[in-house]
Amino acid sequence: MEKVLLIIPAYNEEDNILSTYQSIINYNRKNKTKYDVIVINDGSTDHTSEICHKNKIPVVDLIHNLGIGGAVQTGYKYAYTNHYDIAVQFDGDGQHDVRYVKDIIKPIKNQKADMVIGSRFVSDIDTFKTTFARRIGIRIISIFMKLVTKRKIYDTTSGFRACSKKLIYDFSISYPSEYPEPVTTAEVLKKEYRVLEIPVEMQERKAGMSSIKTWKNVYYMLNVSIALLAIKVRRYQKCK
Amino acid sequence: MQINLIITLILVSVFLIILTTYVLKKGRISEKYSLLWYGMALIIALVALFPNLFVLISKKLGFEVMSSFIMGILIGILILFVMALTIMIAGQKKKTILLIQEVSLLKSELSKIREDQS
Repeated sequence: MEKVLLIIPAYNEEDNILSTYQSIINYNRKNKTKYDVIVINDGSTDHTSEICHKNKIPVVDLIHNLGIGGAVQTGYKYAYTNHYDIAVQFDGDGQHDVRYVKDIIKPIKNQKADMVIGSRFVSDIDTFKTTFARRIGIRIISIFMKLVTKRKIYDTTSGFRACSKKLIYDFSISYPSEYPEPVTTAEVLKKEYRVLEIPVEMQERKAGMSSIKTWKNVYYMLNVSIALLAIKVRRYQKCK
Repeated sequence: MQINLIITLILVSVFLIILTTYVLKKGRISEKYSLLWYGMALIIALVALFPNLFVLISKKLGFEVMSSFIMGILIGILILFVMALTIMIAGQKKKTILLIQEVSLLKSELSKIREDQS
């Protein structure tokens, strides 16, 4: 049976982290699954670390804030060192629903994909409430993605994704520190890994503020577009 | 070129050489990067010592005043410096991230081992 690890990057998630962890543990108990969890505490200044230690939640405390890319990569390093077969990125803020983990890991288990993205926009299941500006931004990035990789990816910024053992190794070696979701998707496609999108539902954040604020959308979009164009001109070694 | 400008340029060049040598001696700059500053001092000295050559080049390039040409050269060099620094910072950032990750993972592994032992 495949070893599955849920990587939960957390920055100042004291209000959400325990409920997120408990939802996974409860799901494991009810469905007899064995999803392991590692929280990567990204130098939080609140009580995220204390809550994890007090409740025996497996946690790696980063000694300094690295941002989402550096935190997630630490999770992949952990997954690689501990010989996991599948790693799933799972938000610590309660946006992701553990019930969909089985759907996004299934194509990897069946060796039909190397990376599976839990997508908000790939089907009619779209209850996710997001701002109009952000939705437009995601569409524009999607167009750039098509230009660079010749593949239509609907939800380019989804952080709910599962990766195979090969990609766990790749990501543990190299992972972008900025704009990791669209950048890794484009890089993985350029390396000719098999990427699938699976429809999932996502919740609104339970508490706290999202790291992407509305006014940052344009800046984010510009940077991602440059990053994607750089990937277009860069050469990548194809996966075997 | 006016004699005042030539003297000023020579003084700037000598000052740069002394400053670079001083920080190099104190170990605050690596040899690799000190070369850039010595190079800059050399270019300024060349402008001061062979003004006619640079007057000719500046005329050919369409500069009306020699001082604009010198400013142009200096701005060009500074842009290259900033570019080199940006590349260096990106490299340093990657190394710092790697260090933070490895130290954090080791710390977590160590505390797990300590917990298991106690």
